[in-house]
Amino acid sequence: MSNPALMRRMPQIAHVDVNCFYASAERAFNPALEGKPVIVLSNNDGCAVTRSPEAKALGIPMGEPWFKLAPRAREWGLIALSSNYELYGDISARVMELLGRYSAWLEVYSIDEAFLGVKGTPTELITLGQTMKTAVRRNVGVPVCVGIAPTKTLAKLANKWAKNNPAFNGVCHWDSVPLPDRETLMRRLSVIEIWGVATRLTKRLNALGIHSILDLARADPVTIRDRFSVVMMRTVLELQGTPCIPMEEERIGRDQLIFSRSFATPITTTTGIQQVMSVYGQQASARLAKHGLQAKILTAFAATSHYNPKDTSYPSVCVPLPMPTADPVLLTKAAHALLPLIHEGIKYAKAGIMVTDLRPTANQAPLALFVNRHEERHVGTLLENVTRRYGRGSIGLGHAGLRGGPDWTMKRNMLSPRYTTHWDELPTVKAT
Amino acid sequence: MLISPVPVAAGYPSPAQDYFDGRIDLNAHLIKDITSTYVVRVAGESMEGAGISDGDELIVNRALEPRDGSVVVAVLDGELTIKRLRITSTGVVLQAENPAYPDIRVPSLSDLVIWGVATRCLHHV
Repeated sequence: MSNPALMRRMPQIAHVDVNCFYASAERAFNPALEGKPVIVLSNNDGCAVTRSPEAKALGIPMGEPWFKLAPRAREWGLIALSSNYELYGDISARVMELLGRYSAWLEVYSIDEAFLGVKGTPTELITLGQTMKTAVRRNVGVPVCVGIAPTKTLAKLANKWAKNNPAFNGVCHWDSVPLPDRETLMRRLSVIEIWGVATRLTKRLNALGIHSILDLARADPVTIRDRFSVVMMRTVLELQGTPCIPMEEERIGRDQLIFSRSFATPITTTTGIQQVMSVYGQQASARLAKHGLQAKILTAFAATSHYNPKDTSYPSVCVPLPMPTADPVLLTKAAHALLPLIHEGIKYAKAGIMVTDLRPTANQAPLALFVNRHEERHVGTLLENVTRRYGRGSIGLGHAGLRGGPDWTMKRNMLSPRYTTHWDELPTVKAT
Repeated sequence: MLISPVPVAAGYPSPAQDYFDGRIDLNAHLIKDITSTYVVRVAGESMEGAGISDGDELIVNRALEPRDGSVVVAVLDGELTIKRLRITSTGVVLQAENPAYPDIRVPSLSDLVIWGVATRCLHHV
């Protein structure tokens, strides 16, 4: 494709994601963490879920339990932090809102990554990628990398390449890279590295002589469909440059659950969005219950269509829930925090919610009972006041509550302040 | 001729008219860009001369270009620090607004990490 006019018409997909998201969000407010090995631990301070490049360089594997690392942390200068989901949720909402300004088509894929529809010549696309990278870093304060390619699968691969090869300066436009270099990369990487290929499928692919990403890209799509599934065939087609992975409606990730949908007819009223949010709230509740999980943070968002480039609007809001919950009423109420941001009359083509900070359910029944009964009496406000005055964990709800219930026993010994969502925990600037 | 969008009742206003958009929204007035604006709290007295006291909250916009005279949050020794930025022909100075505190000189702006530019001070009176 050397015809610039043709290339300008061909839509491409940009995949943007935040480098070491949790660690980067912490660094944005605590510059002392810059350049030091930082890990963020899973719930209960269990294991490393995010590692800064310096922590990776120490050879700390993903998912390494903290108890194994703790004895050597001092010697390494390793800084471990508990998951601060309120902070991450707010930073995520800011990143997504900002990215929405650069494309009329945005798909929030997870807490730290999004797909955007983009058009232009290779030079224009690389410039756009650099512009977005600079803007997110400057405005929000976290570093991102960008991969741009004809399909989502290739865009993800391009992003991975941009992250690992400093020559790209954070932005890789797949089609601009000479073909032999792309093939070398795909030959070097195992199929396990590709988006959507699960570990258990790798062995079966290997049995067919498919080891590298390049092997998979050169496989016959029909054969792959017959031996595996339509999903795997789509991956092959995507690697060959044919876009075929549609908008997904529900995903459960390592620590998040997302519901989002495009509407057949655009929604133009706050009431309409309210109804959609109520449906999602209930769906999220059902899914959480099914997986035996409760959520602590909810993010709600809406977006205008990419076919309608004027009157764009990408409202996004992050809501800390009063306690870990799978309660449909609480989730719905939280999702309604989006409503004040909705512009009446604007055509919203898509909306969704994402719940994060998931943890296993325990003592759900008494907890839910107490919530509903006491909410009317403003027990929540009282609890917040006491907590504000005497610190988190100083008061809890009922017999399920005080240092006994699931949330209150959660170990988060290395929790940073909730810098952006709590007035009492704002970042401090020194005037000395 | 002026036409009222809602029926105007004589006498006591209808409670239905309580639904109006006129209430002052501080977010709308104090925050230009929600993606780049953070609120921080001041610790210390070095900016008293600029009307910024210990315990005050500042609205900081990270997206603004720091200029000569801006009150900036700069990263110094791994800490967020509030100073007045002075850009002169002889170099760049981070000024305290209190004679008890020394200025910090650097050769150029690129030697500094500016975290954001303060736009408002929520001073406790």
